[in-house]
Amino acid sequence: MTGFLIQRLLQAIVIMAVMSVIVFAGVYAIGNPLEVLLPPEAPQDIRDAVIKRFGLDRPLWEQYGLYIYNLFQGDLGRSYIYNEPVLQLIFGRLPATIELVLTSVIGALVIGVPLGIWAGYRPNAFSSRAIMAVSILGFSVPTFWIGLILILTFAVNLGWLPSGGRGDTVEVLGVAWSVFTLDGWSHLILPATNLALFKLAIMIRLARAGTREVMLSDTVKFARAAGISEGTIIRRHVLKLISIPIATVFGLELGSTLAFAVVTETIFAWPGVGKLIIDSIQNLDRPVMMAYLILTAGLFVTINLVVDLVYALLDPRLRRRAAP
Amino acid sequence: MTDASAPRAISPFRRFWSRFFEDRIAVAALIVVIVFAALAFLAPWIAPQDPYDLAGLSLRDARRPPGYVGSGGYVHWLGTDAQGRDLLSAILYGLRVSIQIGIAAGAVALTIGTTVGIVAAYARGFTESVLMRVVDLQLSFPPILLALVLVAVLGQGKMQLVVALVTAQYAYFARTAYGAASAERAKDYVEAAAATPLSGARIVFRHLLPNAMPALIVVATVQIAYAIALEATLSFLGLGLPVTEPSLGMLISNGVKYMMSGRTWISVYPGIALIILIVAINLVGDHVRDILNPRLEK
Amino acid sequence: MTILTVDNLVTQFFTRSGVVTAVDGVSFDIKRGEIVGLVGESGSGKSVTGFSLLGLVDQPGRVTSGSIRLGGEELVGKSDRDMRAIRGARIAMVFQDPLMTLNPVITIGAQMRLAIRAHGAVSRRAADERAAEFLTKVGIREARARLSAYPHEFSGGMRQRVAIAIALLLGSELIVADEPTTALDVSIQAQILDEVRELAAESGTALLWISHDLAVVASLASRVLVMYRGKIVETGPTSKVLAAPQHAYTAGLLASLPAMATPGTPLSVFRPETMTVERPEPVALPPSPSAGQPFVTVTNAVKHFVPSRTLGDKIAAKITANPGQPTVKAVDGVSLTIAKGETLGLVGESGSGKSTLGRMIAGILAPTSGTVTMDGAPVMEGGRKAGTRIQTVFQDPFASLDPRMRVGDIVAEGPLAHGLTNKSDRVAYVAGHLSRAGLDPGLATRFPHQFSGGQRQRIAIARALAMQPEVLVCDEPVSSLDVSIQAQIINLFLELKRDLNLTILFISHDLSVVRHLSDRIAIMLNGRIVEEGITETVYETPQDDYTKRLLAAVPKLSAAA
Repeated sequence: MTGFLIQRLLQAIVIMAVMSVIVFAGVYAIGNPLEVLLPPEAPQDIRDAVIKRFGLDRPLWEQYGLYIYNLFQGDLGRSYIYNEPVLQLIFGRLPATIELVLTSVIGALVIGVPLGIWAGYRPNAFSSRAIMAVSILGFSVPTFWIGLILILTFAVNLGWLPSGGRGDTVEVLGVAWSVFTLDGWSHLILPATNLALFKLAIMIRLARAGTREVMLSDTVKFARAAGISEGTIIRRHVLKLISIPIATVFGLELGSTLAFAVVTETIFAWPGVGKLIIDSIQNLDRPVMMAYLILTAGLFVTINLVVDLVYALLDPRLRRRAAP
Repeated sequence: MTDASAPRAISPFRRFWSRFFEDRIAVAALIVVIVFAALAFLAPWIAPQDPYDLAGLSLRDARRPPGYVGSGGYVHWLGTDAQGRDLLSAILYGLRVSIQIGIAAGAVALTIGTTVGIVAAYARGFTESVLMRVVDLQLSFPPILLALVLVAVLGQGKMQLVVALVTAQYAYFARTAYGAASAERAKDYVEAAAATPLSGARIVFRHLLPNAMPALIVVATVQIAYAIALEATLSFLGLGLPVTEPSLGMLISNGVKYMMSGRTWISVYPGIALIILIVAINLVGDHVRDILNPRLEK
Repeated sequence: MTILTVDNLVTQFFTRSGVVTAVDGVSFDIKRGEIVGLVGESGSGKSVTGFSLLGLVDQPGRVTSGSIRLGGEELVGKSDRDMRAIRGARIAMVFQDPLMTLNPVITIGAQMRLAIRAHGAVSRRAADERAAEFLTKVGIREARARLSAYPHEFSGGMRQRVAIAIALLLGSELIVADEPTTALDVSIQAQILDEVRELAAESGTALLWISHDLAVVASLASRVLVMYRGKIVETGPTSKVLAAPQHAYTAGLLASLPAMATPGTPLSVFRPETMTVERPEPVALPPSPSAGQPFVTVTNAVKHFVPSRTLGDKIAAKITANPGQPTVKAVDGVSLTIAKGETLGLVGESGSGKSTLGRMIAGILAPTSGTVTMDGAPVMEGGRKAGTRIQTVFQDPFASLDPRMRVGDIVAEGPLAHGLTNKSDRVAYVAGHLSRAGLDPGLATRFPHQFSGGQRQRIAIARALAMQPEVLVCDEPVSSLDVSIQAQIINLFLELKRDLNLTILFISHDLSVVRHLSDRIAIMLNGRIVEEGITETVYETPQDDYTKRLLAAVPKLSAAA
C-alpha cells in the first residue's frame, strides 16, 4: 500500500514535468504574442525592445528553463492583457470558481446518490424510469444549452433570478464569497444547477449501476436470510460497497467540473477562472493560459493522488494487503 | 454442412438484435437516429434553401418567426435567423456538419484507441504499462479542456476540430479495449488458442478483437454523442468551426443575442434538434449496454 | 417432533418466454435436530426449494401454491415484514461461496452485530459478546480480536465458519445450507462436516443440507430427499436410499459415480428420455503401459511468480522494512515422467500448483527453471509453444470456447492453421472429430451458447483431438459437470484411451475420478510432488502423511458399501 502511494507520488512528479513541457510547447505554438503586445503600427525598435524584454529571441528550451526557474520562485509572469501578475489574477478569481464547483458537485452527490440507489433498488418502478429519463437528459443535453434555457426560463420569462454575475459577497478569511449572502445564493443557484445537472446524471447512473449489481449479489441475499431489513441493507451494505467507485468518480468529476465551469461561467458571466481562460485563449494571452494549464494539471494530479488515498481507506482489501 | 440444421444456428449477433427489439423506447431511439442521419445526408436535396449560399439570402427575411412566407416565396416553417437564412435548411445542414464531425471523430478515435488498448493488453509488460499510463493520464483530464486548448493551438476548421476531438476521446476507447481485451485474454478460450498453438495475430484479430467489439460499440455510441455535444459546445464558445459552415452549436450561439428579446426560435429549434439527436444516440447506447452486461443477465 | 412441514410446494418463475415451474409439488418434513439431505443436479430445483422456505425466491419467481409450516405456523402468504422476523431468528441460511456472501468492506463483527440487532435491540457490547461466543463455537480462535477483521483476512474455510456462526447466532430451529462446502477443498470440507454434525447435535438445530454431492450428504444426513426436475423422486433413510434406490434416477445417480465402479470400467448413465439406467459393456483397456519409456519428461521444473515491484514498492520496502508481497512458488522443483500411452493423474487441492504444472507441460507457461520435454524435444522454444503434439482440455466449457465462433470453425481453426486439413476437406474433417467426441456433426454450424455444459466439453475435446495430438493435458475436465454428465465424459475418455493410444495428464481435485481413469497418480502439495506411484498402490497403501489425510478426508458412500 505504502509502495503504491509512493509510486503514485513519483508518477505525479513525472507527469507534472512532462505536462509543463507539453503545455509550454503548445502555448508557444499559438499565434504571435507581438500582435497582442503591440499595435500593428509599432516601429521596429520598439518591437526589438519588447522581444528582448520578454526573452522571445532566446531558444525555446532557454525560455522554458527560465519559465520553470521563475515558477519555483512563485512567479508565473504577467498577463499581456491585464498587465497584472498572473498568479494574482488567477487567485483573485479562483474563489468564485471554487464555490461554484463545490456547490454543484456536492449538490449532485447529495441528490444523485439517493436517486440512483432508488433507481437501482427498484429498477422497474415508474419513479425509477422517470429518474433514469432525467439522467439521460442530463447526460445528453449540452451544458451550454441547459444554461441558456435556465436563463430564458427563470431570468427572462419568470424574472425570479438574476441571469449573471455574483451578487453580494462577504469577505471571509480575506476572500469574497457569494455563498454567505442571500443575494449571492440567488446568483449562484442557476449556474450551480446548470453545472450540476451533468454530474447529477453521472452520479445517478453510477449509483444505480452499483446498486443493481450489489442487490443481485449473494452478500445481499445472505443479509436478507439473516432477517436484516431492507433499509439496513441499503444503508450498511449497499452504500458502503458503492461508495468505493463513487468516491473515485467524485474525485475525477471534481476536476472535470472545474473544466466545465468554463462553459457555465461564460454563459452566466460568472467572474471565475473559466471566464478568464476563455478570454485569454481568444486574446492569445500566453502567460495566463500557461499558468492556468499548469495549475489545472497540478490540481488534477493532486486530486488523483487523493482519490488513490481515499480508495485505499475505503477498501480494506487494499489497505491491509501489504500490512506486516 | 447439412442444410437442415443450418437455419437453426442462432448467432450471438441475432440473439443481440432480438433482445434489442424487446425495448420499444430503444427501437424508437434507433429509428430517430436513422431518420436524422438520413435527413443530414439528404440535406442538399431536401432543404428548401442552401444556407451556405450567401447570395441567396436577403436581410429582409432576417429574424422572421416560424410560418413566415419569405421573399423566396416559400414558408419558413421554423422561421429565419439573423442573416435571413431559412432555419429548417440551416438545421438540416447543421445536422450534417454535426453528424459528420461526430462520426469522423468517433471512427478515428475508435481505431486509434482500440489499437492502443489491444496492443497494450496483448503485449503486456513494459509496453502495457507505458501505454496505459499515458491513457490513464489523459482520462483524468476532462476532454473539454483538452479540446479547448487543442483548438486554440491548431486553429479553427473541420480537420482541426476532428483532431482535437480524437485526441480528447481516444483514451476512452483505449481504456475500454484494454479492459475488454485483458478480460478476454484471461479466459480459457484464448489460452486454448495459445495452446494449440495459433499465431499471435490470429489470436488478436480472430478472438480478442471480435470479443472486445461489443464493449467498444457501446463506448462508440456514447462518444459519438459526446463528440457532437463537444463540437456544439466549442462552436458555442466561438472556438469550433468557421462561421461559413454553421453547425448546430454555431446556430444556437448566433441566436443567443436575440433570445432575450423574445426571438427564441433562432436558438431553440437548432437546440431541440441537437438534443433529440444526442438523447436518441444515448438511449440506443444505454440499451445496448444493458443487453451486453453479463452481470445483469439472468 | 416435527418442526417444518412442506406440503405440495410449487414455486414458479414468470419469465418473458413463459412460466417455468422450478419446484413442482414438493412435500417433506423435518424433525427437531434432524439433518436432512436434499440432493439433485443443477436445475433440479433444490436451491429454489431452500430459498422458498425463507421466502427469498428471486424475481420473477414466487411460491404459487402449497404450504410451508414452521412449528405449526403457515409461512406461505406471510408479509415480507413478518418473514423478516423469521429469517435469521428461526430459519437461517448458509450459502455456497463465503467469499461472495460476506461483505468485503465491513468487519466480521459489524456484520454479526447487524444480524443480531435485526431481531431486537441489543447493546453493542452484548452483541459483540454473543458474536465472539459463536465464533469460538465454530472453532475460530481469539474470536474477540477477530471481530475487527475483514472477510479477506480469513481463509476460505474460516469464512464459511463465520457464515455458519452467523446462521447459529439467534438459535434458529432450522438452518438451510445450500452447497456450503462445495467451494472448499476436501480436507477443509471434512473438518467442517465434522463440526457441523457436532454443532447440530449440541444445539438441537435441524439442518436441511442441499448438495449435488451424494457422498457429502451420505456422510452427514440421516434422511435424504432426491430431487429431479422440480419433484422429489425419492425419500428415505440415507442408508436405505443408497443401498437400494427405488427410483431409476437415484439408481442412475449412484451408478454413475466413479467411486461406486471398478476403476477403468465404463460408468452407468441415466437416460432421461427413457428414465432408465444404461449399463455399458466393459471396455477392454490395453494393459497399463506405465513401465514403458518416458515420453513426457519434466525435470526439476520450477515456476515462481515474482510480484512486479515498482520503484515505489522498493522505496516503501526500504522505509518500512516490510518486504511487500512474497514470491509465489507455484511449482517448486517437480520431476516426473509419463510413458507413451499412459494416463497420469495429478491430484492436489487448490493452490497446490497442479494447474501451473499442467500449463507448463502443455506449453502455455514457460518454467522459471528446469525443463519439460516430449519425445526428447522441449515443449516450448523461445517463449512459444513448439509443435502441436500436445493439446489441452480445460475445466470450464463455458469459457474455453470462443462465444462468437461457430462450433465447426472452433474445431477447424487449429487444423487449418497447421495444414492438417484444407478448405475443401474441412467439413468432413470436423464432422469426423465431432462424432469421435460423441456429437452430432450436423450441429457444426451452431454457436457454443446453444449447447449444454457436457456438449461443450465434448466440443473442447473434439477441438483438441482435431489437432491429432499424442499427449492430452486435461485440467479438471469434468469438475464443473453434473454427475450424470461427468460419467458420460469419463466414458468418452476411456474410449479415447482405448482407441487412440493417447498419453494423458489428467489433473483433478477429485480423487475418485482420477482413480477411475489413471494408470499412475502423483499427489501435489505446495508446489511439490509428495507421493507418486501406481494408482491402486497409492490408494490402498499411501505412504505420505498428506496423502493419507487427503484420502481419509474424502466423504465415502459408506452406507452403500
